[in-house]
Amino acid sequence: MSNMIAELLGVGHQYQDGPEVFKGVSFNIEKGSFRFLTGLSGSGKSSLLKVLYLGLKPRWGSVKLFGEDTFKMKPTLVPLLRQKIGVVFQEFNLLDHLTVIDNVSLPLRVRGVDEKRSHKHAGELLNWVGLGDCLKAYPPSLSGGQKQRAAIARAIITRPQLLLADEPTGNVDDEMATKLLCLFEELNKTGTAVLIATHNQRILKKFPYLQLTLKDGTLLQQQLEKKAS
Amino acid sequence: MKKDQDLPLKNDIAARFVPKIVILMVYLGTLCFTFTFFLIHSTRIWEEKLTTDLSIEVPLFSEVPSPNLQTQVFDLLKRTPGVANIDIVSQTEMKTLFHSLLGEDTNIEAFPLPTIIDVGLNRNESFDIKGLEFHLKNISATIQIVDHRSWHGQVSNLLFTGISLALLLTFLILFSTLVTTFFATRTSLLIHREVIEVLSLIGATPIYIAKQFQRNAFKQGIIASSIGSLLGLCTFLGITFLFENAGLPFIVSETFIFEAALIFIIAPFITSFFMMISARAAVMKALCS
Repeated sequence: MSNMIAELLGVGHQYQDGPEVFKGVSFNIEKGSFRFLTGLSGSGKSSLLKVLYLGLKPRWGSVKLFGEDTFKMKPTLVPLLRQKIGVVFQEFNLLDHLTVIDNVSLPLRVRGVDEKRSHKHAGELLNWVGLGDCLKAYPPSLSGGQKQRAAIARAIITRPQLLLADEPTGNVDDEMATKLLCLFEELNKTGTAVLIATHNQRILKKFPYLQLTLKDGTLLQQQLEKKAS
Repeated sequence: MKKDQDLPLKNDIAARFVPKIVILMVYLGTLCFTFTFFLIHSTRIWEEKLTTDLSIEVPLFSEVPSPNLQTQVFDLLKRTPGVANIDIVSQTEMKTLFHSLLGEDTNIEAFPLPTIIDVGLNRNESFDIKGLEFHLKNISATIQIVDHRSWHGQVSNLLFTGISLALLLTFLILFSTLVTTFFATRTSLLIHREVIEVLSLIGATPIYIAKQFQRNAFKQGIIASSIGSLLGLCTFLGITFLFENAGLPFIVSETFIFEAALIFIIAPFITSFFMMISARAAVMKALCS
């Protein structure tokens, strides 16, 4: 059985007639791996994550997810693959008409888990991320940091095989950022492959994982940072 | 919000007009369908009562004395293949008929009333009307034969056309309800595009999303069509009351009452079921294409 969760080979993309967002990007994500995707704003990190969660079909190259060639697979497979991926969106993408607990339990409900169980699980997770008193609140009433934590809770509630996070620490203080990264590490220890797009240098220094850096649309380097003492 | 509904469809602007349209459509549809059954039953009863296919008019004044003439005609009819029954219209009945045509004050006794013989035919046997006419003319040239079958056929065709049109109209009403649901669902899909995208990204299948629209369409359908059906029932009872008051029988048979009741009861379920299918089709078409 393959150890690969994602295999990207010569992937490139261009929005309509605009400049190439990235080109010739090749890398693999193995089971249980932990990676950072770094680069300046507009370097194409979010677009590359979109390719990985099947939100964007790249113009060039080949993408294999869980052994399936995303260009050749049946459309009916897309939701099944997405169910194996947890995504923390940069814009959170919480549903404003649902309460926080409903938002977080949504991925479980989509997978057919009953309401009682999904709420119990979501409640525990929300308590852990410090949103225990916001279970019945609606997203518009939350701060940016609270929304981000709710979005993270939603992404990890199913214990996905691959976790993709787009600037998950962008709206939280350092203490909470470290706490969230620790949560990702815990999840990673249980076998979830993690790929975090960030340009938070403090986080990058604190957590010694492989970095994939996008610069001018090209995957420039892969380096291992030393953990800060 | 109920947990089986992840989309805010309840307050959907696109779907707000759908229940009103469904109420109207189900109201018209149930009445139209009931009218169709009324026509079917009336036609059947009318056809059952029609036992006369031919009428033979034996005049009072002829070269042959009338009673003798009647006997000859009777004997001829008995021998004729395809004749099922022969009835002489009584003079009392004839007088009643003439009174209704000419008025109660007319002295019918002064008129030389002919003898009318009603003939019923056996539908399974062939019947030669030309042959019978020839033999009747041999008995007396003054004997007239009137064939009712042609106008029976014309009236039957007219009623059949009426029934077909009423049925067509009912199905058009149902079809337009489904088309309305289909396009309202498509508009709703556009309105909730972002929510649907999020649901898709977290792994919701098109079937899961379609179920949300299905449930909503079914709920809307059952409530709106029940109101429409109830209004239809009230109108039906009102029409029945008016007809019965005017001395015209509207409840033509017990089966008709049963069928009419059945229409008003099952119409909401059938409409909401098809609305559910229509909503599902709209979602699956949009998400799977």
